[in-house]
Amino acid sequence: MQKLGILVLAVLLVGVLGLASEPGKLIVWCDETRAPALAEAAQKFTAAYGVPVEVQEVPFGDIRGNLAVTAPTGEGPDVIIGPHDWIGELIYNGLLEPLVLPADLLAQFDPASLEAFSWAGELYGLPYATECVALIYNKDLVPEPPATFEELIEIAKVLTDPEKGQYGFLIQQPDPYHTFPLHSAYGGYVFGATPEGTLDPCDIGLDNEGSIKGAMLLDRLVKEGIEFAGADYQTVTGLFNEGLLAMFIGGPWTLPDIQAAGINYGVAKIPPIEGNIPRPFVGVQGFMISAFSENRLLAHMFLKDFLATKEVMLAIYERGQRPPAYLPALAELADNPDIQAFAASAADGIPMPKIPEMGSVWGAWSDALELIVSQKLGPEEAMKNAAEQIRTLLGCK
Amino acid sequence: MALGLLDALGIWTFCSLLLRGEYWMAVGLAVALALINWIYLSKRTYPLKYLFPGLFFLVLFVLYPIGYNIYIAFTNYGTGHILSKEQAIAQIESRLYLPPDAETFDYVVFQEEGGTGFAFLLYPKEGPALFAREGEVVPVAPGVPGFLDQDGDGVVDGAEGYRRLGLPEVVQNLSTLQAMEFPYGEKILRMTSLQEFAAFERRYRYDPEKDVMVDLLSGTGYRPVEGFFTSPEGEALLPGFTIFVGGRNFFALVTNPQISGPFFRVFAWTFAYAFFSVILTFALGLFLAYHLNNPYLRFRKTYRMLLIVPYAIPAFISVLMWRGFFNPEVGVFNQILYSLFGIKIPWLQDPFWAKVALLLNNLWLGFPYMMIISLGALQSIPEELHEAAQIDGASTWQRFWRITFPLLLVSLAPLLIGSFAFNFNNFTNIYLLTEGRPPIPGAQTPAGSTDILISYTYRLAFEGQRGNQYGLASAVSILIFFIIGTISWINFRFTRALEEVSENV
Amino acid sequence: MYRRPTLVGTIVRHLIIWITIVFALFPVVWILSASFNPTNTLVGQRLVPRNPTVGHYQELFTNPQHPFPIWILNSIKVSGLTALFVVCLTALGAYAFSRFRFRGRRGGLMALLLVQMFPQMLAMVAIYLLLLRLGGFLPAIGLNTHTGLIMVYLGGALGFNTWLMKGYFDTIPRSLEESALIDGATHFQAFTRIILPLARPILAVVFILQFIATYSEYLLASVLLTGAQRYTLAVGLRLFITGQYTTRWGVFAAASIVGALPIVLIFYLLQNQLISGLTRGAVKG
Repeated sequence: MQKLGILVLAVLLVGVLGLASEPGKLIVWCDETRAPALAEAAQKFTAAYGVPVEVQEVPFGDIRGNLAVTAPTGEGPDVIIGPHDWIGELIYNGLLEPLVLPADLLAQFDPASLEAFSWAGELYGLPYATECVALIYNKDLVPEPPATFEELIEIAKVLTDPEKGQYGFLIQQPDPYHTFPLHSAYGGYVFGATPEGTLDPCDIGLDNEGSIKGAMLLDRLVKEGIEFAGADYQTVTGLFNEGLLAMFIGGPWTLPDIQAAGINYGVAKIPPIEGNIPRPFVGVQGFMISAFSENRLLAHMFLKDFLATKEVMLAIYERGQRPPAYLPALAELADNPDIQAFAASAADGIPMPKIPEMGSVWGAWSDALELIVSQKLGPEEAMKNAAEQIRTLLGCK
Repeated sequence: MALGLLDALGIWTFCSLLLRGEYWMAVGLAVALALINWIYLSKRTYPLKYLFPGLFFLVLFVLYPIGYNIYIAFTNYGTGHILSKEQAIAQIESRLYLPPDAETFDYVVFQEEGGTGFAFLLYPKEGPALFAREGEVVPVAPGVPGFLDQDGDGVVDGAEGYRRLGLPEVVQNLSTLQAMEFPYGEKILRMTSLQEFAAFERRYRYDPEKDVMVDLLSGTGYRPVEGFFTSPEGEALLPGFTIFVGGRNFFALVTNPQISGPFFRVFAWTFAYAFFSVILTFALGLFLAYHLNNPYLRFRKTYRMLLIVPYAIPAFISVLMWRGFFNPEVGVFNQILYSLFGIKIPWLQDPFWAKVALLLNNLWLGFPYMMIISLGALQSIPEELHEAAQIDGASTWQRFWRITFPLLLVSLAPLLIGSFAFNFNNFTNIYLLTEGRPPIPGAQTPAGSTDILISYTYRLAFEGQRGNQYGLASAVSILIFFIIGTISWINFRFTRALEEVSENV
Repeated sequence: MYRRPTLVGTIVRHLIIWITIVFALFPVVWILSASFNPTNTLVGQRLVPRNPTVGHYQELFTNPQHPFPIWILNSIKVSGLTALFVVCLTALGAYAFSRFRFRGRRGGLMALLLVQMFPQMLAMVAIYLLLLRLGGFLPAIGLNTHTGLIMVYLGGALGFNTWLMKGYFDTIPRSLEESALIDGATHFQAFTRIILPLARPILAVVFILQFIATYSEYLLASVLLTGAQRYTLAVGLRLFITGQYTTRWGVFAAASIVGALPIVLIFYLLQNQLISGLTRGAVKG
């Protein structure tokens, strides 16, 4: 008994003495798809400078929350990855460090992606991929992509046969992100722009004429039997991967599974709707530096010397299949038709709004779409209601 | 004797805590130690001797977080206000800016021989080299004692007692080096890259006496307003900080029409959901437990093992599976229903059926738990009672309802109440299956038909103005706790009568 | 409690139980199907996938980025230790509530139950900060340690399980202890030598309940564990499904199936304890 006590004491003593301190060491948070690509870059960095780099996998949805809790205590990461629409919220919370990068490096990036990561004139992230949705179709069922949206509807009607479990065209619902191209084609928008170039959270365009017309188009798809209630992401991609769906609106993240399923697919821009070009949301993914990082210069170096290289950017692309924002890497993929189609789609797109108020928009908007698809409410009423709800939520009156 | 050891350890830890400046923890430890000694040495604190270990962990990891939660409810902790005022000030003040015409310097890093301090030799474009060390900058030239000009080009390149660092060593110590700042007249010298130092200027300065943050470039004064440093024109400096807001969160909850409007509807469904979940899972669980306790039934163990499987699979995947099953077009349930009866139920699209779906799903998830606790409680019923009743001519049915069931209820009632409370707050389940949908047409607020109190109010806290409002969410938690606590307390008193029964057995 | 059953009765009983088993297991069958489906869909159209593959299972055991076997071991270790300690703490507490009459007994018990009803979603920050500071001077119990995590879980020991055990203890006649006390034993000895052995069924129940609860606990574990090597299964699994839009259902399904096996196994092993010990040789009168 005595010996046990002494042993315990000894262990505790050692534990206290061996206090962990933090030498120069970089901690990077990313989700599981990017971790392998980063791990390689990390090894090279360590080899060159002798500074260990630890790539920690954190579930994507938890990164922001965990950062807010851990960073102010000093235990947080140095670098995180995430989409550009996070930066509004993160900057409000004082969690991001502006980047200082040389001009010649900046010139190698797609300017729209740099713009997406800028706030009040400073750059807060190093972009690595742009993403948006486009039309993905099954070449065995639809040899040529439709040239207009009307054509798309015609093809879809022919191919839709619920008795056999076959469908012609689906947009996952309720999903504002995937439906936005319909609204934006007619001139709908979420937040209006101010003269200074920022977004006005109280200028909500979800109930303007354009948005309503887009909603009416969705309503029409339901009434003509093309779109059905309950078609969520799982259902839509599941059907497509089994060869039971001819066309859908989706992003590059769906490609790996489609390829695994062996479907003969193609990617095209969403066809013009009554002559108007649909503008999908463009999201830019990038690396950001925590404001509480104790290794800011090291992080900067990691970003600009080791991540902003063609090899690493291509490695990240391999896993996620998103068009790189780094132009030399994008050029390498010039003969990849999927990437070119997504990039073309993005060229027409609008960057996802990054002000924190954006988070208040999704719920009401989703509800409106769901009511339209389940035919409980007409499109005009649903969108107007949603916009009102958002205005109330944000306290704009 | 073990107590003596613990005391020794405690005192030693107490001292080391004090040394590190952790006063609160030291005090807490002292109190705990005193308590432990008193409890285990006194003759009168018998029950506490048994209760203490559990209570210790309870206080630390359950009561303290609750206390913290309560504290947060009185602040505005949330997006834009997650830093303390000091941290926000530090961040704003640390914003140096580099004027376009800032002076830049080449530099060389040195480390003290036999020591750990660092120093720099800075070379401006014009003028003598500067030696920077410990927050001080001194111009040096060849001939100044202590400095060397080893290559004889008229420029100082060495210092006595210091050793020049090569690039790898510089990088290894970069985190320390980059943080070193040296005042230089009105400016601050800092490292900007591996090749350069530059003269930064401070943008903001905080005046603690007047509690104002001054923008040195424009002269504007920013006063703390509602957790942001705000200029007279209303422009706020980021980041904001947490402030104490008193009962504002609670007040907002009670008076906010978005909350009070649907409150009763949401409350009614929350209550119904919890109530029916408990009844259904208990009924099935008890039924199974009773029959699987029957010594005459073969394969009991295997059956029990198979029935436990729903409980062993992570709820995350099983609930999402169920969601797929409920899909009106391609889900399994409707496919079977359609082929047998030609109907398709709009499971998750119709308010009524969505509720049915939730209850069905919850039944599946929860019956193993009820089965297990029923199995356990069944073991405690003395056989003599049944034998006596059998002799008196009671049927199996009567024996169950008059003897077994009441006795079971005595031990299980609080657990049923607990299960009620758990389901009342079962945020994840609702969220995974329906996300609170289907939405209510024409509603003023985004409350879905299957939202329960906690999912609805949390959503308001996290989706309302500008991101996550943890302060508001904490206030919500407390309010909900009061509601469920009251309901439970009433129920406990009700079942107290039953407790008397068991104590006479 | 039970009569010797008739043939019809037996058949009906087995039938009903089989129906419930189908109800319980059919989603699991689908999860099994998803685990063999290469296309990562969760709810496929057909039960048997078109091109079944064991690739997901292979990946589980060979992917160095996701050390699945280590996660399972971590989970078993953390859950096992937590359940063990919880049973001890609960038994001690339940004994006190059952046998001793002291002021605040009823109130205390009710207070314990009520306290455990507080919505814990926001406790994360508090516990994180607490462990951060504790780990500052005692790293063995700080963040990213299993010891620290177990300690946090022990906070929930005194709660509903205590009531369950107390109810069971209440039905053990006091006469047994009284005779031991007369023979010169201390309360503690009466507790450990007499009561505990008789209470085996309920100890087993609490162990199982706590094991399963800890095994599937995600929130606290995800905040407190930061290194992939330390993750429990619940945390590690989340990595597969919360990549933005990249939900690897195939691997997740396989992991769920494999991950459920320890629980089922432990339950099976502990079933022997679930027989009543009270009917044998209890002192009468």
